[in-house]
Amino acid sequence: MNYCSRWLWALMLAVLAAPALQAKEELVTLPKRDTVQLTIYNSVDLTLVQETRTLSFKKGNNRLQFSWAQTLIDPTSVEFRALTQGDKLEVLDTSYPAESNEMLIWTISAEADVSARVEISYFTSGLTWSAQYVGMLAADEASMTLTAYVSVTNRSGEEYENAQVRLVVGSINLVEKINQLAGGERERYKRDAEGEMRRATRESAGKKDIVKEGLSEYYIYTVGGTETIPHGWSKRLESFVQAGVPVSTVYTYDARKYGAGLTKLLTFKNNVEHKLGKEPLPEGTVRLYRTMGGNALSYVGEVATPYIAKNDEIKVNAGADAEVTMKLTRLGLEKKDLAFRRWGGRAEDQSLEGWTTVEDFKLEVKNFRNKDVRFEINLVFGGDFDFDSSAEASKVDFQTRRFAQELKAGSSTQITFKLTTRNGTNVKNR
Amino acid sequence: MRPVAFICLTLLACAPLCAKEELVTLPKRDGVQLTIYNSEDLTLVRETRTLSFKAGENRLQFSWANTLIDPTSVEFQALADKEGNLEVSDTSYPAESHEMLIWTITAKKAASHQVQITYFTSGISWSAEYTGLVAADESAMDLTAYVTVHNRSGEDYEDAEVRLVVGVIHLVEKVINLAQPATSRAMDRKEMEDWARDAPNKSPSGPGRGGGGGMSKPKQIDKAGLSEYYIYSVEGTETILTNWSKRLRSFSVAGVPLKTVYHLNPAKFGPEFTKVLEFKNNEECKLGKEPLPDGLIRLFRQSASGMGYMGALASKYIAKNDEVKISVGPDAEVTLKEKRMSFQKKDLTFNQRWLEGWTGVETFELEVRNFRSKAIEVEIHRSFGGDFDFNSEDKAEVENFNTRKFILSLAPNTSRTLVFSVTTRYGSNVKPK
Amino acid sequence: MKLRLFAAALPTALACAIIGLSSPTPAEARIKLATLPDREAVAVRFDHPNQVLVEEERTIALQAGVNNIDFSWAGTNIDKGSIVFRPAAADSKVEILSTSYPPGENALTWAVSSPDARSEKFRISYLMGNIQRETSYQAMVSKDETTCSFKHYFKIRNWSGESFAEADFITRDGKKFEKALSQGEAKRVLVNKWDNVKIKKEYVYDLTRQYEGKVLTDYVLVNSKDIGLGQIPLEFGKVRIYQDDGKGTAAFTGEDWGRFTPIGDEMRLNIGTAQDIKVEFKKMVNDVTNRRGNVYDTDELDQYEIKNFKDSEVILTLVLRVDGEWEMMKDASGFESFERMDNETVKFRVKCPPKGAPVLLKFHYQRKDVW
Repeated sequence: MNYCSRWLWALMLAVLAAPALQAKEELVTLPKRDTVQLTIYNSVDLTLVQETRTLSFKKGNNRLQFSWAQTLIDPTSVEFRALTQGDKLEVLDTSYPAESNEMLIWTISAEADVSARVEISYFTSGLTWSAQYVGMLAADEASMTLTAYVSVTNRSGEEYENAQVRLVVGSINLVEKINQLAGGERERYKRDAEGEMRRATRESAGKKDIVKEGLSEYYIYTVGGTETIPHGWSKRLESFVQAGVPVSTVYTYDARKYGAGLTKLLTFKNNVEHKLGKEPLPEGTVRLYRTMGGNALSYVGEVATPYIAKNDEIKVNAGADAEVTMKLTRLGLEKKDLAFRRWGGRAEDQSLEGWTTVEDFKLEVKNFRNKDVRFEINLVFGGDFDFDSSAEASKVDFQTRRFAQELKAGSSTQITFKLTTRNGTNVKNR
Repeated sequence: MRPVAFICLTLLACAPLCAKEELVTLPKRDGVQLTIYNSEDLTLVRETRTLSFKAGENRLQFSWANTLIDPTSVEFQALADKEGNLEVSDTSYPAESHEMLIWTITAKKAASHQVQITYFTSGISWSAEYTGLVAADESAMDLTAYVTVHNRSGEDYEDAEVRLVVGVIHLVEKVINLAQPATSRAMDRKEMEDWARDAPNKSPSGPGRGGGGGMSKPKQIDKAGLSEYYIYSVEGTETILTNWSKRLRSFSVAGVPLKTVYHLNPAKFGPEFTKVLEFKNNEECKLGKEPLPDGLIRLFRQSASGMGYMGALASKYIAKNDEVKISVGPDAEVTLKEKRMSFQKKDLTFNQRWLEGWTGVETFELEVRNFRSKAIEVEIHRSFGGDFDFNSEDKAEVENFNTRKFILSLAPNTSRTLVFSVTTRYGSNVKPK
Repeated sequence: MKLRLFAAALPTALACAIIGLSSPTPAEARIKLATLPDREAVAVRFDHPNQVLVEEERTIALQAGVNNIDFSWAGTNIDKGSIVFRPAAADSKVEILSTSYPPGENALTWAVSSPDARSEKFRISYLMGNIQRETSYQAMVSKDETTCSFKHYFKIRNWSGESFAEADFITRDGKKFEKALSQGEAKRVLVNKWDNVKIKKEYVYDLTRQYEGKVLTDYVLVNSKDIGLGQIPLEFGKVRIYQDDGKGTAAFTGEDWGRFTPIGDEMRLNIGTAQDIKVEFKKMVNDVTNRRGNVYDTDELDQYEIKNFKDSEVILTLVLRVDGEWEMMKDASGFESFERMDNETVKFRVKCPPKGAPVLLKFHYQRKDVW
């Protein structure tokens, strides 16, 4: 007995022999699926299922029943298409019987007795996929081996056996959520389907290739061969492995993004120089480990990254490193160019309306590590200011200045800068 | 009923494969020393025992059910182990008990060692008190200092060497919080202080057990400095049972010279004209050997008719050479009266017929009368607000930017009137200096 | 049906990460029953400041073709997403095809392909939650307060659900110790001990640390080879300070949190209050000058009367604060040195004679353009 029928009546397809007066319905054949293809989107809870079956039609009207109890199929999306004998077959109507909201019946007129391959397609929710990345940094943190994985999780209520799996990277627009159209999440039955898990992996003893190709604004990853993922299970497959990806470490201060203090960022680019760049990297979790002597690992950190387009940059936050520190000190404050609004001759007949402050700052960066490091410090200033610094600073935007330098092992550096801020009526007309 | 508190040290004989643990009988404590702090609810307990160790690994179990010991503070140390025969390879805190630890101690050879176990406990505190018997003419007093030890630790300490630490140490976590997780017996600091304050009254009047009873002369308390602290060591040993307090005499000095000064100083002694007895913790005052820990100073007056209560001061720590001022309240025999004798407005300035600046000139009289038959000293602080000028024929010192100070002496049965004027500028008259 | 070989093999399976081989299907049991592979080496690494990484090695007998290896960790705190599974040898012929996660269980199955029947050593690494660590120190200061012996302890408490029969525990600075650690148990070990570490004692009246007028006593030690340290960065932890009392015993003199101190940096530890040094503050001048409408300057004299009641002279460091634009006047007096640490903060060093003779620090300054 098919394991499937043990727990649910899912996706039953029956051809009903319809006598002229429809006195009685008769079950004619129960054709199996020939093939099934899943196209899984990760931006929304949506999967397009395309299945093919071979059906025999009698001359005249044929009634084809399709039911999907206990699944998350969107009833409005179910489509019938004849792949062969299309010129002899025509869908006259689709009826949704009152007694069941998990069934429909197509009335199909056949010009003759024919056997045809048909495709039934529909949307379902409950099948999702996600990406994970594991980077194994070399001991010197200068390069890594990056492995990308995709995980497919099946909570759809249906088991798709030996399915061809395609994964869509990119975000599409849906006006209604599929699981709402499917009548909401239904109570699931626990079942012991573990053994079935094995079948797909037994087919080939080699790794699956995942082929990536672009389509409009999306990328489609096609997993080689077919997969069987029972309801409730997830399965992780390797997408690619790339050794020797150069990584640079930058100690970054950017209060708005990373908070107070220097944050250790490990960065690499999804481009050819970094031995990547063949395809965009879908959003997912990046976990970094450092390899130590003797194949031992050390945990570095993780980050949930958004979609990384080709040539885009990835920054993995490895947290604060107490061995590289920065300290910003305001050494001096001077107010000057005080402007008063006057309304009389006496000292009290005036009120301050403009002034300029001149502040001297010292920025001290200390590297207590036994290796050279690179830092990038982004300072944000408000108002109408002039910035004058002892070290080279780049202008990031109208209010942000950046110091980026190398710092030798065990050394420290001091940068001084002067900030002149005009306030009130002293603000320059620009 | 109070749960029974006990501290127990057990040597576990460890069979080669640790298949079975065997309890080995242990000798009693050789000695115990309590170092009690008064700034925090903290006592360092040091106990010594003599143990036999086998060559190889020894497991030593230390447990402290129903006490207030901080488990993170328990330390093991071998005494007089110059060759380094013993080494603690780890300290294990088993999951099943919060009140136990096991040391794994490696011995190079089988030997008997004296070992020291130290730990922090809470629940033992000490406080200082002082009693001054003031002579009838208030020129001198006999000062006696006491220390009282309060034990609420749940543990009886018999024949313990007692050391008291004077000083404010820095603790980042309270020992009571590090001890057992919230037991019903645990007192917080405030409860502890409340209890300690009442404790002398609770303590039985008969002789206590151990060292104190039946001795013909009070014990000496040796005082020694250590870093920023002083350590008072009580001679001999003491037995302090849980829930008991014990008071010991620290020192007694006769004829400490006193000075009487009448103060008007709202910041220090309140709004009243106050009589203050002063002495210094120095050699001239027959003191100055050590600082006086914070505690209550009670003054009694000796008179022909008996003793009278004069006043009390919760004194802060008094360093060597520092001075002590004890307020004994107002004294009807010395009076102070302030009168405003004149008030005048001048230099009115107008802006479009609206007053915007003026200056007030006030004169005051301060009359001090001494009805006593002895000479007195008086110190008066007077504060002012705003942009003011102060003028006086009488000698006044600048105490701070808005306070002036008069210091004067008054012969018996005389009076003195101080006169001063204050000019205060308001509004636009405030001086542009 | 899937065979869970390990379930019978290990009665304590409830709280244990276990691993087993299962046959792909009952009908085609190509892989014979395999014995439960034991852990060969377990390392528990503390090099990440917040996370604990556990690594273990197991040798698994593989058949030619695809093998399914089960790994389950009921009752423990393994972070599922962090599990890294790989052959121990870099040039291994074995490939890991996929990882499958059954619903509602702390378990997974690896599909591993092997070219032939072989014994392969695998390494499994994962982050384990609820293993707490704590660094603490004990400083035994000499009677003259110039040196100390400095002990560094590391304590681990294991609430992970897993009992480690034997494991290498590796601290951040690479110290390794082999211990057994059962669930719920805590263990403390001495990892480092440095003798004759030079310390400096300082008296500090610091308005950025306290407002009550207290003089704090600090010990300062620099994490450098010059003073006898400087081998590893010192982790954050509680430092308990004892002092040799000169009578063969020691007295506890205070404790403080020692902040993370990289090599070359200094650790400052407050042991308590120096009650024999008194500081009394008085504002002697507080004038408004140069008034222009709502804007004015000030002229201020802050007087600190310092009395050192000790029998010997001391140096007191005063850290004071003045806001805004200001300037110290030339007639400020009573100090040995003056340093403006930043615009708002100044540091004075004042020599204080013994036995309570007062010294006056007169901090005269003018603030400019206040409104």
